[in-house]
Amino acid sequence: MSQDSSKQLGSEWGYRAFYLLIRLGGYRAAYALLHIVCACYVLFWPQVRRSCVPYLTHRFPHSVGFTRLWQQYKMVDSFGQTMVDRAIVGSLGAEQIHVSLQGRQQLLKVRDQGRGMILLMSHVGSWQLAMSAMGALNEPIHMVMHGHASSFERHDYEQDSGEVKQEAPYRVIDPQGYLGGAFEMLGVLKQGGILSVMGDRVPEHEKNCLQVAFLGRQVSLPMSAYHLASSTGVPLVVLTSRKCSATSYEMVVADVINVPEGLGRRPEVFVPYAQRYAEILEKYCQEHPYQFFNFFNMWK
Amino acid sequence: MTLKEQIKQILIEDLNLEDITAEEIADDEPLFGEGLGLDSLDAVELAVLVQKNFGVEIKDMEEGRPALQSVQALAQFIEEKQGK
Repeated sequence: MSQDSSKQLGSEWGYRAFYLLIRLGGYRAAYALLHIVCACYVLFWPQVRRSCVPYLTHRFPHSVGFTRLWQQYKMVDSFGQTMVDRAIVGSLGAEQIHVSLQGRQQLLKVRDQGRGMILLMSHVGSWQLAMSAMGALNEPIHMVMHGHASSFERHDYEQDSGEVKQEAPYRVIDPQGYLGGAFEMLGVLKQGGILSVMGDRVPEHEKNCLQVAFLGRQVSLPMSAYHLASSTGVPLVVLTSRKCSATSYEMVVADVINVPEGLGRRPEVFVPYAQRYAEILEKYCQEHPYQFFNFFNMWK
Repeated sequence: MTLKEQIKQILIEDLNLEDITAEEIADDEPLFGEGLGLDSLDAVELAVLVQKNFGVEIKDMEEGRPALQSVQALAQFIEEKQGK
């Protein structure tokens, strides 16, 4: 599977079947079907198994045979659950899934500094559902997201859910816009606003990236968040999300990284900060090995 | 040093443009894409440098797009903002 995993797993009729099952039988029925579907994908679709291999061979380097097959199933099923959960919220309402926020006080403290912030997200847990926890900020969040994804993704986090007390509007900045949306992003941060970017995938054709160690080998991570933070003096808030139970997620403020201002343009100056992020991600993979959803080879 | 020469010096030194001298940057050469080949991160850095060195803010894309077309355009933008 490519980086855009969610769109490649399943067809239109498959999604419709799940939506119908959710309406008729709730999440239990949907999960029951999901487990069977995922088992079939893993058993009979080699491409699905192969997509899990790069990550699993680094996370579980000594696993072979049936153990590896079970890990592949767990990873695919775990990802499938996040998609079903999003469908549940879309079909039955946000109250079906509870989203909590760990590190609320730390997050609010950063907000109250008035400098703005960059939320550094990752493809773990269900960042789409967990984003609703950002309603705690009571401020608009500008998400850097490709335009074709926005309509697919937006309904999840526009729903009221979990601990959201007030509606938090979201804006989308398309990085395929003029100069990668650079001026929009700068404009948000200069006004003390909140920007949200993904930190674990380098966009296609992007040459500005950093080499850091992750699960034993070097991977490339995008540089833009750290450069933006240094250019504007804005803190980076590293967020992770995890599925805690069938009906609950938790968004976690994993760290606040203050990149010194005025570091310039050279990639090497940002490596220590990206490495810090990679270490958070690695710790996450140790604790929640099947909720890491990069189904491609990060290490090539 | 003229304003255009200052801008070219900033491009070379602060944006780490290698294998090029200020004399080789034409005043009307496109800064982004074809031409000098700067990218979005360079745009961010350049906006910060313009403010730092000349006290001029590029507020948004509406200002940035014409201002960052070339060294000539940027110099003109800075002069207009400085009221010269």
